[in-house]
Amino acid sequence: MFEPPSKLHDGPAAAIDIRCLRVDYGTFCAVDDLSLRVPPGEVFGLVGPNGAGKTSTFRVLATLMEPTYGEVMLDGVDALEDLPAARRVMGYMPDLAALPSDLKVGEFLEFHAAAYGLGSRSQRRERVAECLEEVALSEHARSWCKELSRGQMQRVVLAKTLLHRPRVLILDEPASGLDPLARRDLRNALRKLASTGATIFISSHILGELAEMCSSLCVMNRGRLLASGTAEEVRCQLGNTQRTLTATLLSRHDEAAAWLQSQPAVHDLRLTGAQWVFGFSGSDEAQADLLDGLIRRGVRLCAFEEKRSSFEDILVDVAATNRRP
Amino acid sequence: MNPPSLPNPPTRHAACAIWSNPIFRRYCQARLRPRGVGMALLLTLLFAGFIVALASSFGVRGHLSPADAARNGIIPLLVMQGVLLFVLGTAQVAGGMTAERDEQVIDYQRLIPMSPLAKVLGYLFGLPVREYAMVGVTLPFTAWCLWRGQVAWDVWLPLYAIVMSSTLLYHFTGLLTGTVVRNRRWAFLASIGLVFCLYTIIPQMAKFGLVFFKYLTITPVFEECLPGLLPESAGALVKASQRLLPTVKFFNLDFSEAWFSGFSQGGLILTFVVMLCRKWRRTESHLLGKLWATGFFIWIQILLLGNALPLIEPGSLFPSRGLTRLAPFMLEWKPQPAEALLMAGIYGLVTLILIFVLGGIITPSADHQLRGWRRARKHGAAALPPLADAATAYGWVVIMGLAGAVGWFLFTRALVGSHWFPGHTVPWSTLGVFAAVMLSSGGAFQALLEAKGGRSVALTGILVAVLPLMAGAVLSAVSGMLASAAWVLGISPLSLPFFAVGSLLSIAELPEAVVHAVPQAFYCWLGIWVGGALWLSWRLWIARNLHKRTGGGT
Repeated sequence: MFEPPSKLHDGPAAAIDIRCLRVDYGTFCAVDDLSLRVPPGEVFGLVGPNGAGKTSTFRVLATLMEPTYGEVMLDGVDALEDLPAARRVMGYMPDLAALPSDLKVGEFLEFHAAAYGLGSRSQRRERVAECLEEVALSEHARSWCKELSRGQMQRVVLAKTLLHRPRVLILDEPASGLDPLARRDLRNALRKLASTGATIFISSHILGELAEMCSSLCVMNRGRLLASGTAEEVRCQLGNTQRTLTATLLSRHDEAAAWLQSQPAVHDLRLTGAQWVFGFSGSDEAQADLLDGLIRRGVRLCAFEEKRSSFEDILVDVAATNRRP
Repeated sequence: MNPPSLPNPPTRHAACAIWSNPIFRRYCQARLRPRGVGMALLLTLLFAGFIVALASSFGVRGHLSPADAARNGIIPLLVMQGVLLFVLGTAQVAGGMTAERDEQVIDYQRLIPMSPLAKVLGYLFGLPVREYAMVGVTLPFTAWCLWRGQVAWDVWLPLYAIVMSSTLLYHFTGLLTGTVVRNRRWAFLASIGLVFCLYTIIPQMAKFGLVFFKYLTITPVFEECLPGLLPESAGALVKASQRLLPTVKFFNLDFSEAWFSGFSQGGLILTFVVMLCRKWRRTESHLLGKLWATGFFIWIQILLLGNALPLIEPGSLFPSRGLTRLAPFMLEWKPQPAEALLMAGIYGLVTLILIFVLGGIITPSADHQLRGWRRARKHGAAALPPLADAATAYGWVVIMGLAGAVGWFLFTRALVGSHWFPGHTVPWSTLGVFAAVMLSSGGAFQALLEAKGGRSVALTGILVAVLPLMAGAVLSAVSGMLASAAWVLGISPLSLPFFAVGSLLSIAELPEAVVHAVPQAFYCWLGIWVGGALWLSWRLWIARNLHKRTGGGT
């Protein structure tokens, strides 16, 4: 679970601990005083529209970029001071991960296994085979990297990222450019990985996918952290408690409509066939009272449905805010 | 799926263990595949065999002894090896390095927990591994020629040692170009251009007193070893002419050509290693730190002086001496004052260019400065650490300017005050004017670069440094316009060193038409440059104070 910045220095060591991180490109501030703490074993999603500062944050975490200022601790290692140690505990997968054109898949992975010093040659080969199996690409070990599809390339890079058994995985848009089938395979691979206790910090545009996979989320916009917590908490923090309710009535339409219109949390009431559709901005308790009220008034209900704003809608709202001057 | 266990204990790849270097092995795997390398090796083998066979058969037809006939093949083979290593190898290193970035895989290599030096060496020997293999194929032919030609080991060993150090130097040049230049085609062209400059243009400076530059090539060692590599009769002839050549002197020390070449190239290689390691440690880092750049500049000055000063008294430093060596019966040789002026001017110009290059390397961009100030402010610091990349390089350029002025003065003083120009001396006041030339040009360049960035400097350079030279050259071709040409030429900071020596030195024998124009133009433009540099420096100081107060605008 995400912990707010106020608790930053308390509690047990976090897998990822970012304090007052700022990244500037000239006069443009890409990340503005970002602080967050991800405990070990979390699958933490970072969400935001283009230009929110996600990739800059990830590149700083991956030790590929020096921030303007701030502190980054990865599994207790200072990622801005002790780069080799940080690189050992962390695995980074960039978005649109590329592969060298002059190597085969097995050779590419063996090179990285050797570079990370993963034991003897046979141990390295064994580990490469394990990782290829984890991403369901065992049969492609002897394929040329350049001959793989986009999705297969992403999975090879994921295998490379897993080689040295990193305790913190930083995955920048791992599903970008993948078709639904490849996306499902990747999701399965990440789920399996998450079940082993690794901390995964992942970014994606596809919020539904992240909400499904992550134990916590945070939303960034214009370099700032807007909300964080579970999917529900994020929804609440962003003020997105709007829901659309649909009541299918069998009798007493006029009486029900009059009573519903008198309720302060109800708005935009309209009749569609036998269904009354209306917006509701109250809490879950208020929604239960509303249903109870209808039943007490002798209204015969054959269905009562709730439809909440999707995470995509939330991102669209956030992106719209981003475009506003 | 395996649970994440503790990461393996740190396994540092020793930088010197090239054979086990993963990056080296990765390139061996990719570039030595039988299908790719087979054809290249076959062609090299055929060509090397053809060269040796042809050279030997010419020798036999010319009734040379078997040893002399075999020696005929050594130099063509050396040229072939040079082309493979210096040209193809360097281009491969630069292009391969840029390809890593083009294919967006360089970040993976940045994340590998290897030391920057191990990464640099892995690329250095890995990228051109096919070219090394091709040269390896030619070595049996070379070995046969050396053995059959009875070439002494003390002839071929220093030569091949310098071939290796030159190869490393050029490959480092390519690696640096590939690391800095972002476009693959440009990297390829820039590396070839740099090698061309290092091999052909820069050594020409040796003819004008900057002897050190010729030791960056294999030429001095090759010339020294040449008699032992040629057939006996030709070798004897070359050896006789070499007796007239000067030996390498460094102040009062004597060195062999091979040792001094190795020493000079080693210094440059070390600087390249530092540059590359800095880039691998942090992409945003400058190629050189401020202290290292200033030290490097002073070191170059010492090398230039150390090589040049001992050659003044015997006269070997003067360009015209090279011509008379070919006609030794011209005993009445004496250097002309004009060539001394030219040499002093070139020394000043090269020093100035070196200041521009090193100043450019250590100057932070506007973005870098802003980030530095914001970081400093966040940490509650009132100023940036003077050695930080984001800190101003102005003071360091001033130090380089002063050191350059001293070096230029010492060179000029030794040249003009030598027994070749009796009655002439260079007063100490000249040092002040030389310092004004260096500091005004260097200071203006530095202040503009720091305040406005590289684009402004390039534009100003074209308008203020290059255009006046072109216009002046055109004017000087028109009869009766020499004085005007001198005034126009004097605008350029690149002409200031020549105008300085022409105006200040008593040996200057200027043509009647410009005898007044040159000193007048020099003092006038120098004054304007000093004023301009002060004004730009003041503007820079105000801008930096603003940054200091606002902490970079946060």
